[in-house]
Amino acid sequence: MIAGPLSPLEGTFVTIDVNPADMRRTYAAQVTRRYGMIAVVSGLLALSFFLDVATGPGKYSLSVVFDVLTDPLSHGVRLKVIVWDYRLPVAITAVLVGALLAVAGAQMQTILNNPLAEPFTLGVSAAASFGASLAIVLGVSVIPAVGPLLVTMNAFVFALLTCGFILLATRLKGVGSETMILFGIAIFFTFSALLALMQYMASEDQIARIVFWMMGSLSRASWEKISLGALLLAVAIPFSLLRTWPMTALRMGEATAESMGVDVGRLRVEMLICISLLAATAVSFVGTVGFVGLVGPHIARLLVGEDQRFFVPLSALVGALVLSLTSLISKSITPGIIYPIGIITSLIGVPVFISIILSTRKEKLS
Amino acid sequence: MTLSIANLNAGYGKTQVLHDVSVPDIAGGAFVGLIGPNASGKSTLFKTLAGLVTPTAGTITIGDDDVTLLRRKDRARRVAYMPQAFGCNALLNVFESVLLALKQTTGWRVEADNLDRVSDTLSALGLSHLADRGIADLSGGQAQMVAVAQTIVRAPEVILLDEPTSALDLHHQLSILTSIRNEMDRKKPVVMAALHDLNLAAKFCDRLVLLRQGTVLADGAPNHILALPEIGETYRVETDLEQTKRGVFYVDARLAE
Repeated sequence: MIAGPLSPLEGTFVTIDVNPADMRRTYAAQVTRRYGMIAVVSGLLALSFFLDVATGPGKYSLSVVFDVLTDPLSHGVRLKVIVWDYRLPVAITAVLVGALLAVAGAQMQTILNNPLAEPFTLGVSAAASFGASLAIVLGVSVIPAVGPLLVTMNAFVFALLTCGFILLATRLKGVGSETMILFGIAIFFTFSALLALMQYMASEDQIARIVFWMMGSLSRASWEKISLGALLLAVAIPFSLLRTWPMTALRMGEATAESMGVDVGRLRVEMLICISLLAATAVSFVGTVGFVGLVGPHIARLLVGEDQRFFVPLSALVGALVLSLTSLISKSITPGIIYPIGIITSLIGVPVFISIILSTRKEKLS
Repeated sequence: MTLSIANLNAGYGKTQVLHDVSVPDIAGGAFVGLIGPNASGKSTLFKTLAGLVTPTAGTITIGDDDVTLLRRKDRARRVAYMPQAFGCNALLNVFESVLLALKQTTGWRVEADNLDRVSDTLSALGLSHLADRGIADLSGGQAQMVAVAQTIVRAPEVILLDEPTSALDLHHQLSILTSIRNEMDRKKPVVMAALHDLNLAAKFCDRLVLLRQGTVLADGAPNHILALPEIGETYRVETDLEQTKRGVFYVDARLAE
């Protein structure tokens, strides 16, 4: 801060910082801080991931698990199977799905200009649940000959169709972001009712399977799903990063973004296609997991603001961290029992989320 | 560089707003005031020039180039438009918000030159002390100043400002228009500003275009336009054009009896 000429904006008696070099330095420091934030969250994610792999019904020391991770057969075949065939896919799926949901949520919130938008609130999860229940109760497959992936594929197709419907709705004249949220609510209630109908028609065993699917579980993890999820994320993150400046401009409001040369209509469509694939994949992998798509972007926003160059990657990391921690907690509450992650994210996540909102409010008031 | 608008028709759906609008030969460095009552087509003309509304007829040329044929991004590089709406709740600071306006038409990476342009623009408009302030925390007037900065930073050939002083007090109205004139002296863009304050228009503009119901009613030097009886008729007031001892023209307006 240096003493400079009086600001024409503030009138007299105001000492202001007018040095352009100072402004550039402040901005550079801000950017460095954001990279630091990404590094810290990445470190926490690595730690959580390792603890997730190291935790399970069988008690093994951290060093043993580390040995097996670096050299699979170092402690015998049994440990290799436990770590590599069971724990690792679950831990990686938690990270991937958390990232997919958070990136989808971050982008939905940006294009709809609504911090409450995420796959769950727009009815995508409800549609996926209905698709899954259709497979469980009636054995109906939307795509023929998918074999053991019947439930997953049905969930994926219904989630994708819902996103497609939202996408088409955006092309209608006079449909703004508020209308799209209302569409989402309507979709949510429609599929919830259809799901209830499926449950009404289902046998006890089928109801149990539907409920278990809806609770969200990482136990359905597999290397095939991981490969697909990783591929999607590898495409989605650069796809989003290439559009970071127009997406950030969109946060200034539609009129301002358009005045800056952003083709808002086209951008919305491109991003919705990306979101559709991310959300449908995530939900079909693990079932209904609310809150991650909401809280990941929310925490990222508080840490690095809304410059999408930092916001999108950090949302992915925070989402991955949240679901990785959830996976860890789900195994740690009662030894020998793994609780469904959907329950954990809601029970632990929502109070955390509310406390974040309240603390932000307190900061603003002070 | 010269901006020319010829026989422009434009509107929304079936509603035609602009009727055969022509504003020829606006030379670089000229400050053109667009005046006229509410709903006279000022914003629609700006949106059409900026490419946000597609004209149904007519031409818009910068030099020899027909800008209606340019891609959106190329057009935004040459024509910068500040809409009436400003202010938002995004978690961005003022420096970032001006930088992002610049980055829409430049490469992905933030270069040193980009940062220089942003800091120079903020300094030129007297906004440097707000650089680190969140845009959601700005007053209406400050947000409007930042919107002007977002437009100027792109250094376009044509700058369109839709009511740039509507949220500013008298001091800041004079301040922002003086800053814009200073920028014009350096870079020589065409500046068109929609202004409701006829005295500001008289003081700062080189040329005034009077719009009524989407038609150009008069186009010329401010002291000539403001003396026309059409001014009173268009605004439904009685007016006299006076001149101060310092030679500045001003409009003495009162409600028609």
